[in-house]
Amino acid sequence: MNSFKKFKNLVPPIATLSSPHLLSIEGMPKTEIVSLLERADYFADIQISKIEKTLNGYVILNVFFENSTRTRVSFELAGRRLGAEVINISVNMSSIKKGESLLDTANTLSAMRPDVLIVRHPDSGAPKLFSEYLDCSIVNAGDGRHEHPTQALLDALTIKRRLGRIEGLKIAICGDISNSRVARSNIHLLTTLGAKVRCIAPPTLMPKDLSNLGVDCFDNLEEGIKNTNVVMLLRLQNERMSGTETPSKREYFHYYGLDNKKLGLADSQAVIMHPGPMNRGVEIASNLADDENRSLIKMQVQMGVAIRMAAIESLHNKKYAR
Amino acid sequence: MTNKINILLKSIRVIDPASGFDQISDVIVKGEKIFSLKKSNGKKINKCINSIIYDCNNLILCSGIVDTRVHLNGPTEESISKIQSIAAKSGVLKLVTLPNQNPVVDDATVVEYLYEKSKNKYMPEILTYGCATKQFNGTEITELGLMSEAGVLGFTDGIHCIQDSLVMRRVMSYASMLKKPVIQHAEDRSLAGLNKSTMTTVQGEMNESEISTRLGLVGIPSCAEVIIIERDLRIAKLTNAHYHISNVSTKESIEVLRKAKAQGLNVTCDTSPAYFCLNELELSSYNTAFKLSPPLRSEVDRLAIIDGIKDGTIDIISSDHHPRSKDTKILPFSSASTGAAGLETLLPLTLGLVHQGYMDISKAIKLITTNPSKIFKIENPKISEGSLASFIIFDPEKPYIINQEKLLSYPTPFNNRPVEGMNLASFIKGKIIYKHDDFRELKNE
Repeated sequence: MNSFKKFKNLVPPIATLSSPHLLSIEGMPKTEIVSLLERADYFADIQISKIEKTLNGYVILNVFFENSTRTRVSFELAGRRLGAEVINISVNMSSIKKGESLLDTANTLSAMRPDVLIVRHPDSGAPKLFSEYLDCSIVNAGDGRHEHPTQALLDALTIKRRLGRIEGLKIAICGDISNSRVARSNIHLLTTLGAKVRCIAPPTLMPKDLSNLGVDCFDNLEEGIKNTNVVMLLRLQNERMSGTETPSKREYFHYYGLDNKKLGLADSQAVIMHPGPMNRGVEIASNLADDENRSLIKMQVQMGVAIRMAAIESLHNKKYAR
Repeated sequence: MTNKINILLKSIRVIDPASGFDQISDVIVKGEKIFSLKKSNGKKINKCINSIIYDCNNLILCSGIVDTRVHLNGPTEESISKIQSIAAKSGVLKLVTLPNQNPVVDDATVVEYLYEKSKNKYMPEILTYGCATKQFNGTEITELGLMSEAGVLGFTDGIHCIQDSLVMRRVMSYASMLKKPVIQHAEDRSLAGLNKSTMTTVQGEMNESEISTRLGLVGIPSCAEVIIIERDLRIAKLTNAHYHISNVSTKESIEVLRKAKAQGLNVTCDTSPAYFCLNELELSSYNTAFKLSPPLRSEVDRLAIIDGIKDGTIDIISSDHHPRSKDTKILPFSSASTGAAGLETLLPLTLGLVHQGYMDISKAIKLITTNPSKIFKIENPKISEGSLASFIIFDPEKPYIINQEKLLSYPTPFNNRPVEGMNLASFIKGKIIYKHDDFRELKNE
């Protein structure tokens, strides 16, 4: 079921963004989000061999200061499909800690004259810093607890393709909101597109004054999930499962893990999403994760490449392009 | 040769908050001393034998600023002469360094070495606090008595908070015997984000609020400050110590301190311009010049700090001068170090309180001269006939825009901020140790 019917026979134009970088969803105008989604929707359906190599001759550097397989591969595929040269650089954080300054690393990379730098970094705001000192477009591929813009975009595309719309939907985001960049990007994007967003987390993992971001906050999953159309789960990192943030895996699953019974309180057609990697038996019951009728987890991965194509492509003709 | 010639400061407004003196005067400096201080008759003088004349209309003369919170890298000649020349330019003639130096000031010999190295008759005087605990480990008390004899002004772990209540009690008991204050950087470390449940140490990076939520930075709740203050006040009462809190930044702290002062406890405190000029919204661009400790707080807190300054709950405004290298500041926010330069902006930002109508100029001067010298027992020459001619001359209304490029230290959180007020000349013992280009002598015809 495709929502972009008006474009069935029309190729949507390359999205135009007002910024030369893609650093955050917060502050991004609705029109830009929609144009990225429309373009990505087109990429999601097109035969790979028919994709125009608009980025022929462009150099994209994938610079990951944090381990990642899926996001990195997804960006790499996106770049290659558009004809760009994609080079992966995994920066050894230990050498950075040994004294090499981040800016030195950045300047070295800049000397290679990339057109787009895709950055993942464990510190919030690091891609912003790169954008201030380097003369190429920066795409934030996840920075600390701050944002993960392409993840939110692909989540929105997934929802739109499956449920036909975003405006007016009730969407629950559940889990470690406090430490989640996925949650923050999704909150900004989904509220911008007119969804009713609810955030569900144990009080220890709920950040301060979150409701000021335009969401409703719940510490009770069963209450928060009522009548929702989408349940988006977040990964609970291993080191947070015992100690002062949550008492134990067992207790977390008891209160916040999604199972059939709790999902029964949501809309009867409600779908489940997860940015991965999943902790089966912690935030989601294993059988639900595999339920093709309910779980959109696989589709999220597919949409990832399409979204990243649209995103990279939208930056290529910006002022930094050589 | 030059100091043999008299200096005549014509029609200058002399303010001494200690005595309440405030008068447009003609001041003659002869040798090391103020030779004459007379009410100005308003007549123009173009000629005076053996004298250099300065027309000081609309300028203010007051005693040198006493800055009670300055970070020094260590007692090396380079860092000492650098801080002294920055201080001279800023109108700061006495400054107290924190013990967080290299080497750490936790031993009488380091104190003596620092004093010896910085001894210069015609330069701003450097004083220091001593560490309360060895290498600020928070557990073992230093030789407080010996350091006291060597001349430290008080005891503090500088930018570290003394966390352990028993250690605090012992430091205060000892300091009380020595009649020296204990200076606390009030921040409960575990609330400030030292997270033991995770394998890694996550340090709080900014005030906990909607802004920290939006930016994805680790928040420090504002109660982390007042919790320590409330505990320490009880220990101060128990031990009869003089307790001083530096860099007060929250509304709750002001409320608690106001009450404690009303009860007559021996407690004093200071804040620095960042906490009455800026709030947490500055962090929105992840600019690390705003990464300070304590962190910039909410607008409500900022206004409460101004109230605290107005009603005397806050005794001192200090610069909290903590310059950093670009290597430690041009980094992702989490990895960047805390602290910013403050000496050069202390005077104009304090005068900002006057220009905004919060207080008169005499009160503002009191906060940076008389009060700090009284509280920390720092001798500062009076402005009167026969006293040493150590003072500053500033233009309270000179407008300009603070520009990082023009400052001697990095980074400033006040870059591009329009201010009014500038130090034009610093005198120590009759000698002009700093003079701005605008401070010109009249041609003696």
